[in-house]
Amino acid sequence: MNQSITIILAIFFPVICGAVILLMPKFRERKKLLKASGAVLVLTAVLALCVVTGGDTELTLLYLGENLKLFFRVDALGKMFAVVISIVWLLAGFYSFEYMKHEQEEKRYFGFYLMVYGILLALCFAGNLITFYMFYELMTLSSVPLVLHSRTKEAIMAGLKYLFYSLCGAYLVLLGIYFLSRYTTTLDFLPGGTLDMTLAAGHEELLLTVAFLMILGFGVKAGMFPMHAWLPTAHPVAPAPASAVLSGLIVKAGVLGIIRAVYYIIGADFLKGTWVQTAWLTLTLITVFMGSMLAYREKAMKKRLAYSTVSQASYILFGLALLQPDAMTGSLLHVVFHAFIKSCLFLCAGAIIYKTGKTNVDEMRGIGKEMPVTIWCYTFASMALIGIPPASGFISKWYLATGSLKTGISVFSWLGPVVLLVSALLTAGYLLPVTIHGFLPGADYDYASLKKSEPVKMMVVPLIVLACLAVLLGVFPNPLTSYVSEIIGTLM
Amino acid sequence: MFGSNFMPNMGEEIAMILFGIGFANLLLQKNLIKKIIGLNIMDTAVYLFLAEKGYISGRVAPIVVNGVQSVEAYINPIPSGLVLTGIVVSVSVTALMLSLTVRLYKRYHTLDLDEISSRLKKEGL
Amino acid sequence: MAFVQNVPFFSIMISMFSGIVSSVLPKKPAKWLNTAAISVIGAMSAWLLGYMIEVGGSYTFMMGHFPAPWGNEIRAGALEACMALVFCIIMLLSMLGGRKKLDEEVEHSKHNIYYILTDLLLSSLLALIYTNDLFTAYVFVEINTISACGLIMIRQNGRTIEAAVRYMIMSLLGSGLLLMGICMLYDLTGHLLMSNIKEAVHGIMEAGTYRIPMIITIGLMTVGLAIKSALFPFHSWLPDAYGYSTVSSAAMLSSLVSKGYIFLLVKIFYRVIGFDVICSSKIINVLFVFGLCAMIFGSVSAIWEKDIRRMIAFSSVAQIGYIYMGFGLGTTEGVVASLFHIMAHAATKSLLFISAIGLTDVSAGSRSFFDLNGAAYRNKIAGIGFTVGSLSMVGIPTFAGFVSKLLFAEAAVIHPSQKMLPTLIVLAISTILNAIYFLKTVIRIYVPEKDSVAKEKGFTTVSIKEQKLYTATIIAFVVLNLVLGMMSEPIIDIIQTGLGNFA
Repeated sequence: MNQSITIILAIFFPVICGAVILLMPKFRERKKLLKASGAVLVLTAVLALCVVTGGDTELTLLYLGENLKLFFRVDALGKMFAVVISIVWLLAGFYSFEYMKHEQEEKRYFGFYLMVYGILLALCFAGNLITFYMFYELMTLSSVPLVLHSRTKEAIMAGLKYLFYSLCGAYLVLLGIYFLSRYTTTLDFLPGGTLDMTLAAGHEELLLTVAFLMILGFGVKAGMFPMHAWLPTAHPVAPAPASAVLSGLIVKAGVLGIIRAVYYIIGADFLKGTWVQTAWLTLTLITVFMGSMLAYREKAMKKRLAYSTVSQASYILFGLALLQPDAMTGSLLHVVFHAFIKSCLFLCAGAIIYKTGKTNVDEMRGIGKEMPVTIWCYTFASMALIGIPPASGFISKWYLATGSLKTGISVFSWLGPVVLLVSALLTAGYLLPVTIHGFLPGADYDYASLKKSEPVKMMVVPLIVLACLAVLLGVFPNPLTSYVSEIIGTLM
Repeated sequence: MFGSNFMPNMGEEIAMILFGIGFANLLLQKNLIKKIIGLNIMDTAVYLFLAEKGYISGRVAPIVVNGVQSVEAYINPIPSGLVLTGIVVSVSVTALMLSLTVRLYKRYHTLDLDEISSRLKKEGL
Repeated sequence: MAFVQNVPFFSIMISMFSGIVSSVLPKKPAKWLNTAAISVIGAMSAWLLGYMIEVGGSYTFMMGHFPAPWGNEIRAGALEACMALVFCIIMLLSMLGGRKKLDEEVEHSKHNIYYILTDLLLSSLLALIYTNDLFTAYVFVEINTISACGLIMIRQNGRTIEAAVRYMIMSLLGSGLLLMGICMLYDLTGHLLMSNIKEAVHGIMEAGTYRIPMIITIGLMTVGLAIKSALFPFHSWLPDAYGYSTVSSAAMLSSLVSKGYIFLLVKIFYRVIGFDVICSSKIINVLFVFGLCAMIFGSVSAIWEKDIRRMIAFSSVAQIGYIYMGFGLGTTEGVVASLFHIMAHAATKSLLFISAIGLTDVSAGSRSFFDLNGAAYRNKIAGIGFTVGSLSMVGIPTFAGFVSKLLFAEAAVIHPSQKMLPTLIVLAISTILNAIYFLKTVIRIYVPEKDSVAKEKGFTTVSIKEQKLYTATIIAFVVLNLVLGMMSEPIIDIIQTGLGNFA
C-alpha cells in the first residue's frame, strides 16, 4: 500500500471511528461497542506498524496558509514513539474492556480513547512545528474527557485544572512559534536545527528567552516544575487505564515536543552553556527531587504514582537538558522504559481498585496473597523503575549518570547523579512497601478470610506483557540502545 | 489676552463652547429630558459651526430671486445643505429618544436613568 | 463600464426599498422579502467579488449627474465586496437562526417592523462599506444607529428599553463627535469626497500649517467611532443590549453593527487621512492602550458573569479590544489582522449567540450558568455549535479565531517599536482568560444533569428533527467558521490588496 495513504489512515481512521462511536446511539450496547473498539484498536496498531516498517516518507496534507502547512514526516524518532504508544495503547485498551465494566458511559470513554490514539500518532509523525502544535492542542482537548470521565465535582475541577495548565503551556509554545517563524529558515523539523544564524545574529538573548519559554510550555505536559501541579490532580481521577496512558504516554508528548523544539528547530549547540541550559537543569533537578519526595509522603496509591511520574518525566528532561549524546541516549531509553513501567504500575493499581476497591497504600496489607500475579507484575515494574539491575531502569539511569559526568558543567555534572541516586532511593521507598506488606502482611494477618481475587485474563495479560517488557528490555538493551544512538548521531 | 484671530472667529468659538455644553449635558445629566436637550444643543452647535464656515460676509444666500447673478454674489451653498441634512437626522434621533423616554416614564414613572437601572436590578429581569 | 459594477448601487437600493415596501406588507411577505433581499445582495456581492478579483484594483461609481469634486460617489474593490458578502451571509444566518425565537418573543404586529429595521440596517451597512463620501457616511451611521436601536427594543421589556436608551445616548455622543470631526475636516480641506480630502490633507501636511486642528479632527472622528463601536471604557450599554434583546438582534448587533463603524474607521484611516499621518499622530497609541485594557477587562468581566448571554456580550468587549489593538500597532499587518478579525469574530460571535439560545431554551429559559448542566445533551446541535464557537474563540487551530490570533501575534512580532511585548503578553493573558470561561461553559453543558433535577426544573429535550432550520443554520455557521479557519489565505490576500488600493 502507498505509504502516504497509510499515514493518513493511521491518523484519521481512529479519530473518525472514535467520532462515529461517540455519535452513533447504536454503540450503547456494550458488546457492539467492545467489538468495534477492539477492531479499530487492532487495525490502527497494524496501520501504525505499516507506517513504522515502511521507509522514511514525507507528506504534505494541506496548506492552511502560506507558511502554515499540515506536513507529516516519518523519521526514526517518531517511529520509536509510535511503536511505544501503539503497544501501550493496545494493551491498556484491552485492559479497559474489563475494567470499564464498573464505570459508566463506556461509549464516551472508548470514543475519546480512540481519538486520542490517532492524534498521538499524528503527533509522532508531525513534520513541522505548526502541525505538531495543532495536534498537541487537539490532544489536550480530546484527553480532557478522559480525565473528567466520572463527572464528579472533583473530576471536573481536575479536568479544568488540566485544561488551564495545558493551554497556558500551549500558548507559551505558540508564542515561541511566532518568534521562531521569523528567525528560522523553515519550521520543518530538521536534525540539528533550522535556526538562520544570519537572521539570528544580534537577537541571541531574545531567542534564548523564546527557547526557554518553549521548554517551559512543553514542560507543562511533562509535569516540569513550576507547572507540575495539574499532574497529581488530573491523572489519579481518571479511570485506571486512562491514567496509565496519561501518565505513560501523554506526558511523553511534552517530552517529544521539547526534543523537536530543542534538537530539531533551535539546535542543541545554540543552547549549550547558556543560562537557558542552567535554568532548565535546575528546574529538572528540583522536579526530580520534589516529585519523589511528594510521592514518598503520599498515601493514595494512584496519586503516589502520579507524583512518581512528575519525578520520572524530569529524569528524561534532565538528560535532554544536558545536551550530551550519552545523557540523551539515557533520556530516550527512559522514555520507552517509563512508558511501559508506569502504565504497568497504574494498571496494577487499577486492578487492585477493580477487585478490592482499596485505594490507599495502607489498606493493601496482604494484597499479594489475594492477587499474587498482579503484585508480582507490580514488583517487577517497580524494580525496573528504581533501577535495580538488570531491569530496564538501570540502563537508562546509567546512561544519564555517565552522560552527566561527561559534560563537565561545573556543578551539575556531579549534582545530577547525586540527585538521581537520592531519588532512586526514594523511589524504592515509595514503591516497595506495597510489595513488602502485600506479600508479608505480618503475623496478625487473618489468613482465614483470604480469598483469591485475581482479575480475569483480559486484565492480567496486559500487566504481564508490560512487566515482561520492563524487565526484558533491561536484559537485552542492545538493539534499542543502538537504534537510539543512531537517532542521536544525526542530532549531535 | 487673545490672539488676533479671536474676534473674527467668534462664531466658531461660540459653536465649540455650545458643543461642549451639549456634550457634557448629554453625557452627565441623569434626567432623560435634560439629556435630550443636551443632544439638541450639541447638534445645533455643529450647525452653527457649519453655517459660520459657509458664510462669506457681504453675500446673500444662494437663492435665485432676480435671475442668476455672478458666483461672487452668493455664499457657499454646501454647508447650508449639510445643515439641512443634519437637521433631518437630529430631528429623527430626537423623536426616537423622546419616544423611548415616554416608554420608560410610563413603566417606571421617573426620568432618572440611574433610578431606572437600580429598579431593573431589583426586578431581576 | 461592466454591468457588474452596478452591484454596489443596486445592493444598497434593493435593501433600502425592500425596507420601504415591507412597511405596507403583512408579516409573511415581509419575511420572505427580507430573506430574498439579503440572499440576492449576498449573491450579487459574491459576483462582484469574483469580478474584482479577476480585474483587480477598484473603481468609483458616480451617483447622480455631478462629477467628482461635487457629486456623490460609491467606490468598490475586492475588499469591500468581500466584507459585503460576509456581512450578508452572517445576517442571513442570524435571521434564520433566531426566527423561532422571534416568533415567541416579539408581538406579531411588530414583525414586519423588525424586517424593515433589518433591511435598513443592511442598507446602511452596505452604504458604510461602499460610500466614498464622508457626509453620506455620517448619515448612514445615524441610520445604522436608529435601526440598531430598534432591533434592541423590538422585544419589549424594561431592560431592553433601558439598554436602548443607553445605547442611543452613547451612540449620539459618538456621532456628535464624528459629525464635528467631519465638519472640521470639511472646513480644513473644502471637500467631502474621501479621495479629494486625502489630496488636500496631503497638501496641508506638506505645508505644515493647521497641524493642531488636523490632530483634533482625527481625534474627534476616531474617538467618535470608537465610542460607537463600544470600545472600552464606552461599553456600558453593551452587555444589556446584547444580553436581553431577541437573539437575532444580539447576533447582528455584536457581529455587524459595531463592525460597520470599524470598517468606516479603517476607511477614514486609509482613504481620508492617510495611514502615515494617522500613525504619526498619537491617536493610535490611545487606541492601542484602550484596546489592551478592553481585552483584559472584557474577559475578566465575562469570567465573573453568571448569565450566559451577558458572558458572550462581555467577550465581545474583549474582541473589539483585539481589533483596536491591531489598529493601535500602527502597521499594515496589524490592520490586516484586525480586518480579518472583524470577519472571524462576526462569524464566531453570531454562532455563539444563536447556539446559546438553543441551550437556554431547553433549560426552561433560564440563562443562569448553573441551569445549563447537560444542555448539550438536550439540544445536541446547539451544543456542537457552542463548542465550535468556543474553540474558535479560544484559538484552536482549524477554526477562524486561530488565524486572527496568529495574524495579531505575527503583526506584533515584526513590530519595530516597544509595542511588541505588551501585545504578546496581553494576547496571552486574554487567550487564557477566554479559555477559562468558554471551556468552563463547554464542560458544564456536557455534564449530564440528574433526571430528577431536570424534571423539577422543567428542562426539555429538542431533537434535530424538530428544528430543521435551526440545525441547518448552525451547520452553515460551523462550515463558515471552518472555511475562515482553513482557507484564510485568499481572504488575507484580498484584505492586503484591498488596503493597498485604499492608499
